Amino acid sequence: MHEIGMTIVEWIIGLLVLGGALLGALSAFGLLRLPDVYTRSHAATKSTTLGVMSILLGAFLYFVAYDNYVSAKLLLGIVFVLITAPVAGHLIGRAAYKSGAPLSDRTVQDDLKHAPHTDTQLREHTDGQLPHERERQRE
Amino acid sequence: MGLQIVLNLIIAVVWMFLNNEWTAVQLIVGYALGALIMLALRRFFNHDFYLRRVWAFLLLLVLFLRELIMSNISVIRELLRPKLAIRPGIFAYDTELRGDWEITALACLITLTPGTLTLEVSPDQRTLYIHAMDIADAEELSAQIRSTFEKAIKEVTR
Amino acid sequence: MLQVVLYTALVLLSLSVVAGLYRIIRGPSMPDRVIALDTIGICLIGLVAVVCMLQDTTAYLDIILLMGILAFLGTVAFSKFIEKGVVMEHARNRDDHR
Repeated sequence: MHEIGMTIVEWIIGLLVLGGALLGALSAFGLLRLPDVYTRSHAATKSTTLGVMSILLGAFLYFVAYDNYVSAKLLLGIVFVLITAPVAGHLIGRAAYKSGAPLSDRTVQDDLKHAPHTDTQLREHTDGQLPHERERQRE
Repeated sequence: MGLQIVLNLIIAVVWMFLNNEWTAVQLIVGYALGALIMLALRRFFNHDFYLRRVWAFLLLLVLFLRELIMSNISVIRELLRPKLAIRPGIFAYDTELRGDWEITALACLITLTPGTLTLEVSPDQRTLYIHAMDIADAEELSAQIRSTFEKAIKEVTR
Repeated sequence: MLQVVLYTALVLLSLSVVAGLYRIIRGPSMPDRVIALDTIGICLIGLVAVVCMLQDTTAYLDIILLMGILAFLGTVAFSKFIEKGVVMEHARNRDDHR
């Protein structure tokens, strides 16, 4: 009975680790293949995150099953990766857009370009006045 | 809510006193017992029972994990097409959520699902600009986010 | 059996690190490089976990947390730098919002 249980646990660990590694490799493939920064960050940061989370879960199960050792550090690592990944992804995306990284020519829609609040950034560069406001004043 | 947690902790500690056993197991048993007692007496509190929020949070987590796995599969299917057929785009999403925490949670959840990435939150915190990997129909995508994430977050915070 | 799976995982993760390195060297823009760095950091976490299992030791588990923190901080600092903003944002010098 115990033997069978160990085999099942071994299979689960193997599947988790292999699945995670495959996800990591596939998203790295996406890093090479996709056309622009934004799509790359889709593939890279997030699929890799899921992959690593599943590997860490596999490691956690491994230490529980073989060493009888419940590792709080691994759980903490999973939570940490889960929390930091979206923040990092959002920051890079925003920085890329603000620094003017080009969207690929496949892009079909860009609502942010005409967003009203981008005017506030423009305002900073032209001492407090937008071009069309200045024209209105001149009239 | 804070009062209810303190009360629950007090019940747990009293349980440990009664048993004269100072172990984590006893604390957990006491906490569970306290939660049960408070569940039975919940209509005497002014506020809702606090574990209802915890339960809603767990539901949000499950929903999120399911969404994470599903969208990962779809992104990888797109990726492995011999000829790339993605149509990325940025669309504006009007959110009904208010307050820093709710917006942060929604933005993080959207970012963590592959295929969507929050690029920018407008200063008045009413519009999220989302980059989608395959923007077949922006309306449909918005409706999907609204009916899953936004609803679940509201369950937790309100 | 598990041994084989673990070695395969090592190879796959190393391949994705190589892909990240390629993107760092080639990457047409700065954000590309930062994304690749972030990916390499996360892949390294996975590598350390797999090595831990291979050697059957819990000694490297601290490194997982350390790598996570370093990769995150590095990414935040880099993206703030690209944005030409400040790394630490205080409420008192945030003038535009609300």
